[in-house]
Amino acid sequence: MVNKMIYDIFHKTEFVYQSPVTFSHNLARLKPKTTSCQKLLDFSMEISPEVFETHEFTDMFGNNTTHMLIREPHQALVVTGRSKVQLFPEYREKHLEHIKLKSITYARAAQRLSNFHIDDVFAKQYLFESALIPYAPQAIKTYALESFSSNRDLFEAAQEFMERIFSDFDFVSGFSDITTPIEEIFEAKKGVCQDFAQFAISALRSIGLPAQYRSGYIETLPPEGKEKLFGTDASHAWFSLYIPNAGWIDFDPTNNLIPKEQHILLGSGRDYHDISPLKGVVMSSGESKLSVMVDVRKEETNKQKLSDEIQRQMQSQQ
Amino acid sequence: MALFEAYVCQSSFDEVHDSTGAPRAHWKKIIESIESVGLDVLKEKQAQIDWHLEDNGVTYNIYDDYDKPTHRSWSLDAIPFVVESKEWNEVKKGLKQRAKLFNLILKDLYGEQKLIKENIVPAEVIFGHKGFLTEVFDFGFKENFSLYFYATDLARGPDGKIWVIADKTQAPSGLGYAIENRLTMNVVTNDLYPEVETKKLSPFLYAFKDLLKDLTGDDLSKAALLTPGAYNETYFEHAYLSAYLEINLVQGQDLLSKSGALWLKSMSGLKQINTLLRRVDDRFSDPLELKGDSRLGVTGMVESMRQNNLHMINPIGSAILENIGLNPFMTKIAQYFLNEELILPQIATWWCGQTKELDFVLKNMETLVVKKIDRSTEIQVYFGKSMSVEERETLALLLQKDPHKYVAQEDVDFSSVPYYHKGKIEPRNAVIRSFALRKNDDYIVMNGGLVRMASSKDSLVVSSSSGGISKDLWILGKDKTMPAFPAQPNLTPYVETSIDKISTLKAENLFWLGRYLSRSISTARLLSHVIKKITNFYRYEVVTSKESQMILQQALTHMTMTYPGFLDPENKKNLDIFPMRELTSVIKDVHRSGSLSLTLMMLSNANMNLKDLLTLESWKLFDRLQKEWSAFANRKNDTTLVVASELDNLLIYLMAFKKLVEDSIFKEQGLILYHIGYKIEDALLLISKTKSMLSQKLDKLVGHDVLEGMLNSMESFNAYRAHYKSSLTLEYVVEFLIFNVQFPKSLHHTIRSLLSEFKHLPKASEVCTPYEDAMIKAKLLLHETDLKSVLSIQEDEGVYTQLDDLLTSLFDLFLACSNEFSKTYFAHYGE
Repeated sequence: MVNKMIYDIFHKTEFVYQSPVTFSHNLARLKPKTTSCQKLLDFSMEISPEVFETHEFTDMFGNNTTHMLIREPHQALVVTGRSKVQLFPEYREKHLEHIKLKSITYARAAQRLSNFHIDDVFAKQYLFESALIPYAPQAIKTYALESFSSNRDLFEAAQEFMERIFSDFDFVSGFSDITTPIEEIFEAKKGVCQDFAQFAISALRSIGLPAQYRSGYIETLPPEGKEKLFGTDASHAWFSLYIPNAGWIDFDPTNNLIPKEQHILLGSGRDYHDISPLKGVVMSSGESKLSVMVDVRKEETNKQKLSDEIQRQMQSQQ
Repeated sequence: MALFEAYVCQSSFDEVHDSTGAPRAHWKKIIESIESVGLDVLKEKQAQIDWHLEDNGVTYNIYDDYDKPTHRSWSLDAIPFVVESKEWNEVKKGLKQRAKLFNLILKDLYGEQKLIKENIVPAEVIFGHKGFLTEVFDFGFKENFSLYFYATDLARGPDGKIWVIADKTQAPSGLGYAIENRLTMNVVTNDLYPEVETKKLSPFLYAFKDLLKDLTGDDLSKAALLTPGAYNETYFEHAYLSAYLEINLVQGQDLLSKSGALWLKSMSGLKQINTLLRRVDDRFSDPLELKGDSRLGVTGMVESMRQNNLHMINPIGSAILENIGLNPFMTKIAQYFLNEELILPQIATWWCGQTKELDFVLKNMETLVVKKIDRSTEIQVYFGKSMSVEERETLALLLQKDPHKYVAQEDVDFSSVPYYHKGKIEPRNAVIRSFALRKNDDYIVMNGGLVRMASSKDSLVVSSSSGGISKDLWILGKDKTMPAFPAQPNLTPYVETSIDKISTLKAENLFWLGRYLSRSISTARLLSHVIKKITNFYRYEVVTSKESQMILQQALTHMTMTYPGFLDPENKKNLDIFPMRELTSVIKDVHRSGSLSLTLMMLSNANMNLKDLLTLESWKLFDRLQKEWSAFANRKNDTTLVVASELDNLLIYLMAFKKLVEDSIFKEQGLILYHIGYKIEDALLLISKTKSMLSQKLDKLVGHDVLEGMLNSMESFNAYRAHYKSSLTLEYVVEFLIFNVQFPKSLHHTIRSLLSEFKHLPKASEVCTPYEDAMIKAKLLLHETDLKSVLSIQEDEGVYTQLDDLLTSLFDLFLACSNEFSKTYFAHYGE
């Protein structure tokens, strides 16, 4: 029997407030989607302090969303999602083959998108600038168009575009946050996964191609011979391009690869706002501080050892 | 025709005269009436109208400076805009059709999206418009998700037909002004136009009330009008409509959401609101799911709709209909949904997202008007004919870059109407705002409307943001039945007159009105006293006076908490020589916490939020106070004497305002909350002043000076004299200010009266509320304290330690009382 690809994901988000909060409404998006290439096997969410009520719904982008109200005085809000997700790399492989086969040239794609085609209609909502991803200035467009020449196959062009971002930009954390303008990223040629995703999306939309922001996780492996520490992962972000006649295909410019066996999708949207894992409005004065902890690991690792490790980590935090 | 001599029409069409210059039949009576009475009477009637509007406080706030909105008075022309009923009936058919279409579009875009899937409307027109809210993407399937209220701007085109100019759906304004205009016109109609018969507005208003009754299950207390607040440009109308419709007038902070529903916070607890007449724009309605930094909405409002517990007039998401990009497709949409032709003509519109259309627009730009389809962030209109070649080239580049964002419209010249302006009758371009309401799966249209006119004779642009010059719209003819006109509303809007039912926001503002008013008065008094002391000092050159003056100044720092202020050891020399510098800052610096200017600003905010409770007189008074104060605060280099007299002037205003507040609000409307706030603040300030001035041992002469200063700064010297008939002694003053039961400003008296006020509050039945508990403790503390021992002091001691401790304890108890009071009534924990 083939080894099943199952991941355990631990995603903890914590808000710490300057002064006590007695009433807060929050939206959590911590429950991964089920798609044709991945299946959510199990999910649980833990909220502290105790919630007054919760209500689950699916938003327009198909993301699982939980609305929750907390009415207990608290100075910190901790929401932890634990999911078990099975990936089906063979479906992703098949999808990729399909995309390669059906992909068309940039010129034909542009032509088709400027007219009505029933298959493209809903992809068009990813054509426009959004609050976090405005259209790119000319310099970035020019940079993108080096890969997207008229008669080039769109899939090939996008793959090359991803490779160029990977080799031209350095992964440097601490330089940027979610609101750093892409011009700055382009100028400095450095950033983190979300910067590269936003940069690519902005560039693609500016040259008339629909692109989605994807949010999720990627398994990281410890250096050879070392034990993987719990909670050392991070959320991950990449982008997806719509190729008319073929469909959506994901690209990860941070790792220069097309997601297959390591990427677990949490949700997608026009930009980060559509899929922020935890958003809240509190009645309180002062700032709030956010901290996040993520752990992603394959299930076949020694289960007992892992849960011991989790226990230990949890206790040390308390 | 002498009267209409100056009335030379330059428009494509004139409402009054036909192409031969003869008056049109339906205007005959109006013109004859005006001519028979003459311009002098018209002038007099116009003055009567102006006075009436001013007296009713009809205003339109102009939104250019958030801190200081300008109140513009509303103006109404004595000459109405007249439309024949036969023509109006045709227009009504067209409006009903359009309302129906927009309702279907709304439900489709947030539902099946057939318009997009079947290429009736290009996807870009919808997805590229910020009015399309993904947050409510599937709400169109809900039964209560409908376009209930729809306003349309109409104008007569060159062909003599009435055209649609713009559609208003997310929070249409104008109905309140239209009603007020009609009521005002009624004042002069009989004298001016005795022969003219006009259709009534009342059937429409009854229908509005019926709709609300329908949605609330006949319980109007479940409905509310949500206003952005008194700073909003059309706040007058929000207050007015809520009064007419007999529904609550609320702001975002009045409501909270839980259990998937909205609740009105009131003194007696939470009450569910299931119908919202929303005057806050879509994107500002819910900071959780929509615009995150909005303070105007209610967190969880979208969720309440999602859980089917909230009807909204109109639903969040309606802004997508205010998209001119839909215009070119309306004909197709009408055929698609109703299999009908559009009844009302629209301005020819081209959406630039299509190649052919874009080419046309680029070639004909000088004859077109170019607009952005999305006007939610900025309204930009380019008139091709008044642009230079370069400007047109720049615009062409914009269009080519983002073609889907733009439409171009034919540049149309609309009809003109007569307007009485400075003794003459002039032609003006005018736009009619009409109103339609959903009723039994159909729509009804009001027989009337709001007519707005261009602000100058040569201007073709009619915009209400530049102020309101308006007309009443008269549809000639008789109503079939004549329902009685709804009773005139109270000019103060509908607020429940029971302490149990007043909203928490209002309650909290009343409480703070009391606190800030007390703080303003005490601060101004002490400041005035300190300044007078300075001028006296220079006159007499008495040594003791210098020390007592410093003690007073330090008391000011303590009382206003403007630390380090006069307590700054590093600045001592400067403060000694130039005390006015520090004093001026405490008086004027609005950015300094504790300053008089800031306190007045806080008072003004509380006052603003109580606009509908207070009388017009107190409004006018406060307005003057603010004007004079800001003139003073912005002035530099006033002499000490001028500063002192400005403070006295302020005090006169504040005392008059206090009296007006206390006279105009009923106890049941929450005056008791104001009293509680006032008393608590008074006590807190008295304590910190006493602590700072009386708890240190002083030289006899200085002590006398300080005691006098203490009493004078409270305007209580005479009262003291009446009580004690003796000279000033520390013992008597302490007795007087703290322990005395007869003196209304004493702490003991304050504690007793607070305890008796508390008995009238909604939660009084509970055994002992925490805020009550604090005052009972304070009362016991005073009982247990012996005056003599409080003032006992050792030779070598400089401070009356026991007095100081007593005052500290009392301060903490009053503060606890205030905090617990707020918590009990304003926080709604765990309800």
